[in-house]
Formats: sequence, C-alpha cells, structure tokens
Amino acid sequence: MTGETLRNLLMTAWLLPLLGFAIEIFGGFWGSRKSRVAAWLAVACIATGFLCSASALVVWGNATGWRVIAHDEHHGDEHHGDEHHGDEHHGDEHHAADSDAHAAVNMKSRNDQATTIGMEPGNWVTTSVSADGNVADADHSHDAPTVYSGTLYRLATFGGLELTLDYYIDSLTLVMFTMVTFIATCIHLFAIGYMSDELTDEYVDHFAHLSDGHHVHRPGRFYRFFAFLSLFCFSMLGLVLAGNIFQVFIFWELVGICSFLLIGFYTERKSASDAANKAFIMNRVGDFGFLIGLMVLWTFFGTFKFGETTDLSGHVVEAGLFQMLPRSEGGDILLDEVSGEVLIGSMTAPNPENSSRTIPYSLLIVAGLGVFAGCIGKSAQFPLQTWLPDAMEGPTPVSALVHSATMVAAGVYLTGRFYPMFTQEVLLTIAYVGCITLFVAATIAVVATDIKKVLAYSTISQLGYMMLGLGVFGWGAGLFHLVTHAFFKSLMFLCSGSVIHGCHHEQEMPKMGGLRHKMPITAWTMLVGVVAISGLAIPGLVGLSSFFAFSGFHSKDAVVATALAFVEANPAHFLLFIVPLITAGITAFYMFRLWFYTFAGSPRDQHVYDHCHESPAIMTLPLLALSIFAAYCAWGGEQGPLYGLITGDQPAYIAHGIAGSVTLPGHDAVHEVHGTAGILAMLAAFSGTLVAWVLYGAGWINPGEIQKQLSGVHGFLINKWHFDELYDSVFMRPMHIVGKFCAWFDRTIFDGILHGAAKVTVVVSRWDRLFDETVVDGFVNVIGRATHSAGLSLKTIQTGNLRQYVMFIVAGVVALFAVVLTTFPG
Amino acid sequence: MLFSQLITKLIQDTTEKSLPLFGVELCLCVTIVLMLLVRLFSADRVLPACITAVVGAAAALTCSWLQYRELFAQSAPVSTELFTGLLIHDNFTVYFRAFLSLFLLLTVALTSLTGIPDEEDGPDFYSLLFGATLGMMLMASSNSLLMLFIAVEMASVPSYAMVGFLKGQKSASEGALKYVVYGAGAAGVMLYGISLVAGTLGTADMSLLSERLAAVAADGSGGLGDPELRTFALGLLMILAGLAFKLSLVPFHFWCPDAFEGASAEVAGFLSIASKAGAFALLVRLCISMAGAEGAETLLTAFGVGLGVISIITMTLGNLAAYGQDNLKRLLAYSTIAHAGYMVMAVSAMVVMLSDTAAGDVSRSVASAMEGLLYYLFVYLFMNLGAFAVIALVRNHTYGETIGDVRGLISQAPVLCVVMLVCFFSLVGLPPFGGFVGKFFIFAAVFNAGSSHSFMYVLLAFGCLNTVFSLFYYIRVLKTMFLETRDEDARPVPVQFASWESAFVLTLAGFVILLGVAPYVMSTTANSAAQALVMLQ
Repeated sequence: MTGETLRNLLMTAWLLPLLGFAIEIFGGFWGSRKSRVAAWLAVACIATGFLCSASALVVWGNATGWRVIAHDEHHGDEHHGDEHHGDEHHGDEHHAADSDAHAAVNMKSRNDQATTIGMEPGNWVTTSVSADGNVADADHSHDAPTVYSGTLYRLATFGGLELTLDYYIDSLTLVMFTMVTFIATCIHLFAIGYMSDELTDEYVDHFAHLSDGHHVHRPGRFYRFFAFLSLFCFSMLGLVLAGNIFQVFIFWELVGICSFLLIGFYTERKSASDAANKAFIMNRVGDFGFLIGLMVLWTFFGTFKFGETTDLSGHVVEAGLFQMLPRSEGGDILLDEVSGEVLIGSMTAPNPENSSRTIPYSLLIVAGLGVFAGCIGKSAQFPLQTWLPDAMEGPTPVSALVHSATMVAAGVYLTGRFYPMFTQEVLLTIAYVGCITLFVAATIAVVATDIKKVLAYSTISQLGYMMLGLGVFGWGAGLFHLVTHAFFKSLMFLCSGSVIHGCHHEQEMPKMGGLRHKMPITAWTMLVGVVAISGLAIPGLVGLSSFFAFSGFHSKDAVVATALAFVEANPAHFLLFIVPLITAGITAFYMFRLWFYTFAGSPRDQHVYDHCHESPAIMTLPLLALSIFAAYCAWGGEQGPLYGLITGDQPAYIAHGIAGSVTLPGHDAVHEVHGTAGILAMLAAFSGTLVAWVLYGAGWINPGEIQKQLSGVHGFLINKWHFDELYDSVFMRPMHIVGKFCAWFDRTIFDGILHGAAKVTVVVSRWDRLFDETVVDGFVNVIGRATHSAGLSLKTIQTGNLRQYVMFIVAGVVALFAVVLTTFPG
Repeated sequence: MLFSQLITKLIQDTTEKSLPLFGVELCLCVTIVLMLLVRLFSADRVLPACITAVVGAAAALTCSWLQYRELFAQSAPVSTELFTGLLIHDNFTVYFRAFLSLFLLLTVALTSLTGIPDEEDGPDFYSLLFGATLGMMLMASSNSLLMLFIAVEMASVPSYAMVGFLKGQKSASEGALKYVVYGAGAAGVMLYGISLVAGTLGTADMSLLSERLAAVAADGSGGLGDPELRTFALGLLMILAGLAFKLSLVPFHFWCPDAFEGASAEVAGFLSIASKAGAFALLVRLCISMAGAEGAETLLTAFGVGLGVISIITMTLGNLAAYGQDNLKRLLAYSTIAHAGYMVMAVSAMVVMLSDTAAGDVSRSVASAMEGLLYYLFVYLFMNLGAFAVIALVRNHTYGETIGDVRGLISQAPVLCVVMLVCFFSLVGLPPFGGFVGKFFIFAAVFNAGSSHSFMYVLLAFGCLNTVFSLFYYIRVLKTMFLETRDEDARPVPVQFASWESAFVLTLAGFVILLGVAPYVMSTTANSAAQALVMLQ
C-alpha cells in the first residue's frame, strides 16, 4: 500500500512537468508572446510536484514511524518545513502508521543488503508494536532500511535484456524529490520576474551582434524558457526516481539536452552557443565512460535494476545489482576463494540465472570508474570541470537551478546511489578527484571578477567537497552537503541574478559596490548564503549555537570530519584532509570577497549604482524562502532530521567502516574526531573571512598591490590554471591537424578515385548507350516487329470461311495423330 | 435378378441416393420450368424472369454451398456414384457445382444490370443460360463416356442459341451459325472417338478405363505399334478434339473469335468462362480415369506431351493473333484462347506426372497441379467476367465494342477504367492480382513435372514467353483508355461511382485483388478438391 501510494505521488510529481512542457511548448508557440500563462503553468506543475513529494515524504515517514529522525523528536522546530509536516500528525496517526509499517515490512519492503535479509519478519512486528509511542530507538535506524522498488513500464525486450522504467524509492529519493521540487518552485517564481523582459514581440539582444553591427532583434521566448525548465524538471526527477542504471542514463542524457538548450538559450550569442556545445561535448566524454560501465555491468550482472524484483507474493524473483555483490560482515566485497574473482549473487539474492558467476575484480573497478566518469562529466569534476563556468552564459535562473543546485548534483547523487557497486579503489579515486577539484576551483574563484563566475567556481569546488566526502566513506556527509549546498547555492545564484537584473545585466564586481543600500533584501539574503557556504558558526554557545550555525557549517563539518578520520586511518593520504581544510579557508575568503565587493563599501561605478534597484517581490520572496532553508535546513547537524532522513537507507556496511588495503572509517571513528575537525575547519573559515575583510571590507590593504606582486600566480589563476589552453593544445589542435589531414585525404585521394570512377562510368555508359540503342534495341525491335507481323498474318488464317473451319477439325485430328505417331513410335 | 427387382432397385437408387445429391441441378431444372410456366400464364409483369433467375441461381448456389459444407467437412474424401454410375458425386464435382452456381448468379446479375435480354425475351434467355449451366455441371460430374457426350451437347446447344440471341444483328446470326456447324462437326468427331474407345476397351464407364486399358496394353506391346492401342489413341484424340472445341484450343478454335464477336459481351463472358470450366473438369476426369493403367504409360506420356504441344500452339497463336484486333470482344476471344493454353499446361503436367513410372508417390504434386488449374479457373472467373462486364457497360452507352469506344474513358468513367486495369493486369499475371498467383501455381506445377519429362521445361519457357507477348495487347487497350483523350464526338459513358454497375464491377475487381494478396482463401479449398480426386483414383 505504502509503496503504491509513494509511487503514485512521485510519479505525479515526475510526470506533471512533462505535461507542462508539452502544453507550454506548443501553446506558447501558437499563443501570444506577451502571455505569462506558460510561466504560471510551469509553476503550477512544479509546485504540485513539490506538494506531492512532500506528501510522499510524510507518507513514507508515517509508514516507517519516523524512525530515522527519531533524534529530533524532542527538538521540535517549526522552521523545518517539509520534513516536519509529519511531526504534527505523528501522535494521532501513530497506530495507523504502525500497522502500515507492518504491512510494508511483511509484504514488500526488503533490505537492500544481503546481510540483513535473513532477519525474521516476526521480530519486526514485535519491535514495532512495543515501540509504540517511542518508535525508533537509534539502533534500528540502520537495521531496516525501507526501500520500495518496482517496474513502471517496459520499454523493450532484447533477448535477455529487458529495458524498463523502474522506480526505486528510499529516503534519499524522497529527500531529493522534495529538495529539487522546492528549489525549482522558488526558481520558477524568481524567473517570472527575471525573464520578464522576454515578454515582448521584439526582443533586442544587446549582447548579440549581426555582421552589420546591429543588435539582434527577435521575438521574445518567455514561454520557451519555461517549457525548457519544465522539461528539465521532468528529466531531473526521472533521474532521481530511476530504478535502474540504464534509466538513469536515459534521464542523464535528457538533463544533458535540457542543459544544452538552456545554456544556449540566447542562441544568437556566439559565446552562449559555444558554451552550450562545450557543455554538451564535455559531458559526452564522461558519458563514454558511463557507457563502458553499463556494458561491463550488463555483461556480468545481466541486469540494470538497482532493487530486486519480487512477484506478487513478495518472493524475490530476480536480484538487483545492489543485492548481487555480497559483502562480508565488515562490508568488504567477497572474493571467490578459487578464482580470486568477485562472486555475483548469493544464496539470499540469486543472480538472474541462479548460476555461480563471477566478475574479475579489475572489471568491477572498471565498471565503477566508468559510471563515475559519467559523474565527473555531469558534476564538472576535474578534469572535465571547464564547461561549468562557461555554462553561466545561460540565464541566471538556469545557472541557479541547473548548474548549481540540481543537475550538477546529479553526478554526486548517482555516486551515492551507486555506492554499493564501488570498490575501495574506486572510492579512493573519487576522493582524490574531489580533492583536486575543490582546490583548483577555489583558487580560480579567488581571482574571478564576474559575480556569476565566482559562484560557478565555488559550485565546482563544493561539488568537489561532496565527492571527497563520498570518497572517504562519508556517504551521509557527501549527500548531506549536496542537499545543504543546493539550498544555499541556489539562494546565492538567485541573489546574483537579482543583482544582475537590478544592475541591468552588469556582472563585473569591480563596477559594483555598496549595493546593500539599494537592494537590502538581496544583500542580506546573500549574506546568509555566504555565511552558510563559508561554514561559519559561533562555537561554544550551547543551546543558542544552533541559531548561529547555518547549514553549510554542519555539512562541511561532516565532510571534513570524515576526511580527518580517513586520514587518521590512512596517514599516507594526508592530503585528503589538508587540502579541504585549507580550501575551507579559501572558500570563506572568496565568498566574503564577493559580498564585500558587491554590497559593502562605496559605489565604484556611479552609473551602475544610480540605475540599480531592488528587484520586485516575485524575485525577493523566493530569496527569503530559500534563505530560511539555507540557514536552517541542516538543523541539528548530524543528529538532525535532515541527516537522519538522508542516511535512513544508507548501505548498512557504511556504519562500520571497512578495513582493507585502504581503511575506511566507520561512524564511530568519524564521531571521535568530529570535534577536532570542526574546530580546525572553523578556524580556517574565520581566517579566510578575516583576510577578506582586511582586503575588501575594511580596505586596509590594497588587493591590487598583492595582485602585482603575485602577478605570475594571478595570471595563472585568471587563466583558470590554463586548463582550456591545455585541452586546446592536447586535444583540439591534434584533432584539427588530424581533421585537416582527413579533409585533405578525402579531397585528393578519395575524391580523386571517385572522380576517376565517375569519368570511367561516363565513358562506359556512353558506349553502353550506343550498344543499347543499336544492338539491344535493334534486337528487341526486330523481335517486336516479327511477333507483331506474325500476329497480323495469323489473322489471315481466320478467313471466316465455315467450310475451311470444319475441314480444320479433321485436319487437326489427323495432324495431331501423325505427330503423336511419329514422336512416339512403337 | 428379376426385372421387377431391377426396377425396384433402380427406383430405390434414384430416389434415395441420386436425387438428393442432384439437388443443385434440380434447382436449375425447376427454375427453367418455373420461368416457362410464368410466361405461359402471362405472369411476366408480376414476376419478371430475371427475378426468378436470380432466385433460382441463388438457390443453386445455396444448395451447392450446403453440399460443399457437408463434403469438405469429412476427413476422408468420399465419392458416390449416381444414377447407376452415370454421374459421380465427389469433392471435385461439388467444387465445380459451386463454381458454376456462383458464376451463374454473377452472370444473371450482370445481365439484369445491362438489360441484354429485354423483358419479353427474358424467360427464353435465362432458360438457355440455365440449360447450358446444367450441361456444364453434368460435364463436371460425368462418369461415363456416354454421359460425357450428352453433357457436352447439353451445354453446347443452348450456347448456340445464346450466341445468336441478338436476332437483328447479322454478325450474331453468322456467329451462331458458324458455332452450330463447327460444334456439330466437333460433336461428330467426338462421338466417333467415343465409339472407338468404348469399342477397344469394351466399356463406357470411365471408372473402369484404366483397368481395361491395362488389360489391353498387357495383350500387346504397350506401345503405339500395337494396333489396338493405336485405335484407342486415335479415339482418345478424337474425344480430345471434341473437348478442345469446347476449350477453343488451337486448331479447334476457329469458331471462337467469330462467335464471340457475334454474341453479346455477357454471353461471350459466359461462354469463355463457364463452358471452359466444364470442359476442363471433363478433361481432368478423363485424364485421371486413365491414370495408373499399367503398360500404357508410354501412351499416356505421349498424350500428356501432346497436350503440352497443343498448349504451346494455343497460347502462342492466341496471344499473337490478339495483336491486331480492334474489336474488344474479339481481342478477348483470343485472350481466352491463350488462357485456355495456359490452363492446359497444368493438365499436361498432371498427365505427364501421372504416367511417370520412375517417380514414387506423385499424388501430392499431381494434386498441386490440379490445384493450380482450379485456382486459375476461379481467378479467371472474376477477371474475365470483369473485363466482359466493362465492355458490356461501355457498349450500353456507346453502342460499340471497339478500342475506339474506350479511348480516353478515364475522363468519364474512372471506375470502369480502374476495374479494367485490375482485370487486365491480372490476366497478364502481374502481382498483386489473382492472375499472378494462379499462373504461379501452374508454372510451378509444370516446373515440377519437368523432372518427369524434359519437354515440360520447353512448355514452361513458352508459357513465360507468352506472358510477355500478352502484355502488349492488354497494355495497348489500357494505354488507350488511360492516356489518350476521348474523342470529341464519342458518346459519353456516365457510369457513376455510386451505382449498381460500379458496385458490381468493383466487387469483381475486389475479388481479383483479394485472390492475389490472400491466395490461401481459395487455394486450400482448391487443393482439397484436387487431393480428393487424386486420392479416390
């Protein structure tokens, strides 16, 4: 029951934007260019989706008795919005919820881990009943993850390969759904204000020039923008809901194309269309790896599904990917003793053919790295990070939604979702990739002057944090940061959008300054975001500290703590802690630099300042809503409801850690170092803030001086570590040379052969024609004439003379008899 | 056995066994009597003859359909001798009864649409038509040489009258006269042949032919050097001459163009299809009845090859002679001759396979050859009747039947033109029309027979060549109809799309296409009729 309710709610939330897209794109094309209907329709779709998602979360919570956020029972807080809807109904619906829970457990819900599958249902019933009123003690939160999976629609069957649309609903899915729909709703609303200048029959694009120097005039594309946004929401939600890796790939590509469409929204601007191409092509590089991973998985596992398939009575028919990789008690992947390869399937979770198959460990690594390669592309990780800053060519709401909060987070989400399939080697790779990314991007952000570019680099950097967190076994930490980051980064992007809108599309920070007087709401909500991302908090104030520790503090804390625990267990990898710690300081520095540059001090460009204005309410209200979440969504940190929800269905072995070639820390190890890590991180953040204040806030030291003295470093950073030049010379130029050679080869050799062949053909066909016209036609004509004249002469036999006719009867018989006699004598 | 006992037994045989299975023919007889009676009591105005005819034909069709249902439902083929062995009732008979009943119904429908017998002459015309059909049904079911002759004459005599039915026309009288005289000559030859065969073998019962032939062959050398067998061969050839007259095979075809030109298009269509069907049924029965005569295989092979030679001559001459024709009925008369040639190919292949001692069980391939013939006949019904119907409809408006009368017809009566196109393409044997499938079956059978006698390959080659020849004159007509412009002074042909005429011809064309795209609709029935005949032998 619960499973079906959840499925229906989430499907509604998922499919509504598609419906919206269909109506908007056609209706908008035929409708008036000045109509806002498309926008409100898109808002309605996504807002309904948000309500459905939130309800689904409540339903799920009731079904599981809110066991995963039980810590929060005593700290009721009204700021938590969606997560808290359930609390209000908790008491009175408790019994119903419990019985639901039994049903769910008995009928459908299954562990996604082989280690807990053996648990008897009987235990479950008693536990739930006795826990009435005090449902979940913490121990149970890891014992019984509640996952609902199944098939929505079968696309096609190719032999043994069945392509289906599945769903896989666990707490992570629900949190992602709620987060994505909520942020998307805010951004849709914001965009109604931001994109309002498209509401015209003739839009003048001041950034796009024709060859004669004039600006491009075109019809407004308001409706199209919202149609694309709706399509994007559909794709993103489909990705989150996906129950098999192939389906993920489908929606992965769909968000890719949406991103392409939205980055290139101002398609007349060369920079925009170039950026769209760049984003698309760089993602293809990652997707190439993704495809290799898919092939390996299909070849050895024979299925793409995450969860197991059950028949109507609840028996497992076919195991999913996650069940087929048996792990030891410690969470280590089991190797077959004879072959040294990884066993596929186990007694409790048989593989599709129920055979004892194995996959070489190396290929399991390849599969993991392949899938992660896709994540690198989508999440703009090193070395494919260069597309994301360019993607800022899209309208700012797009940057906020697609290129900071959701789509780029899809890579992180998939890494988390696909976690059970990753070996330790892959995890270590993930950690290092994240580590390099976060540092590189942060350093570039320090020197960027375009307000959106700073945020773009900060996004890359924060995505690096998430990857790092996941890589060092902080499954919860990484995804925790994903959610908090989504809130504060979308907030900051919208603030920057508000600034850009207010300053009439001025994006250069050196031309701003002192804007807090002109746009106070934007300035202070932005400050919330800045504080959140910097991870600032006031320590030591027990009780009150919660109010002064914004979401970013908690999540970054979790990542850094996990990294520290990891480094303590594996000192050789000390960089994995040092780098993010330093970068935490850099983050605080460049974020406050941005805020001081933009909002503090005095105006640097009087013209800009004079014409700028605060944005209308439709843009500022989403800012306020998001700022509340940016500040307090992570309430309670790792004991809080959000973290509990996210980690509610984490793979069970994560809590214990893994001891192998690389020791991966468990929760206890992380908990021990949490205090140390927190203090270190905060120190870094405070020092970064201080430096920023000294340089840009108070202005005691002229940043220009430092720039001059470190001009080499500055230039290096301004040029983004020369990544674009590097790729240009390593990939582009050789490719051009090869391309030129191919073109030359084509033109001279192939075309030469072709032209020669053509000439020969012409000559031959001339001869052929001659032959045809004289010999063949002549022959045919002769035959034709002969038969025709024969026919005409045959007419003469038919004399009409009756006597002759009758004579022929006799003559015919005699002649035939003679023929037979002579042909068959004797 | 006492005479009274014999009489009792005869009466019992007739009333209890024969008459119930003779129902279709009785329907026709009753209809004829009814029509004549109606006129006798001057009730024509109340009950026009065409109504009676339609009802009678429909009753015959229903009756034959019931017989078909009953007989084809049985697991093993059954044959019953009627009237002390003069007639035989089996799947093959029933197939032809149903075929002829259906055709009769269609012809009556066509004549009532075109109004060729006016109300005054209706009873006469339909009596003749039904009488001829009755004869053809007897042809299909005759089991005795005597019955063979009677049936042929029964079919022929009304036909002579029908050809001359357009009393005022000189050409009609001339055609009828030629037909009568020629038919009389052919009948004489055939009767002589029958006497020779019956005299040599000592029986006229066709079911005993093969047995007696084997006995005769055992006495002599088995070849044509044996005088008795030579006499038999001559007799057989003379019977064949009689049948060839009905089939208009060269060199017994001379009556055909003249008679067709003189007859109305409806009658020509009737003659070209129905009398041909009956004659083919008879020919197949004759051939099958001689099959399996031990010692006479050489003779039978000679007979088969002889049929093949006749087939080659017939189709070649028919096709080539059609080149120069301007009268459409005359053109179709030659086309009919050519098609008889195609169909004789199947009989030839059948006989050759049957007399092949080296081959094992040939019943399956013989049956498939016969299936080809039956299928071709069935398709031929629709495509040829369609062509004649178009000619008749055009004639009703233009009073002419030449190519000039259909020139540019597409601008006035597109339905007729399209139906003509379908029928002609089917006659040529182009897919996806029924004629292609029929021709394919026959050619395949001939190809199969090639392993029994290599002459069959020659026959096949001529068959293919003739298909190409035939393309020319059919396309010429179509070109005239579609691509040329209608003469200024030509009489208009106002045939609407929503009219009975259009519905009729479109139905025919629809069947032609259906038989081309879904051959199994008919081929299974044809096959089971053929199988039954082969297995019973």
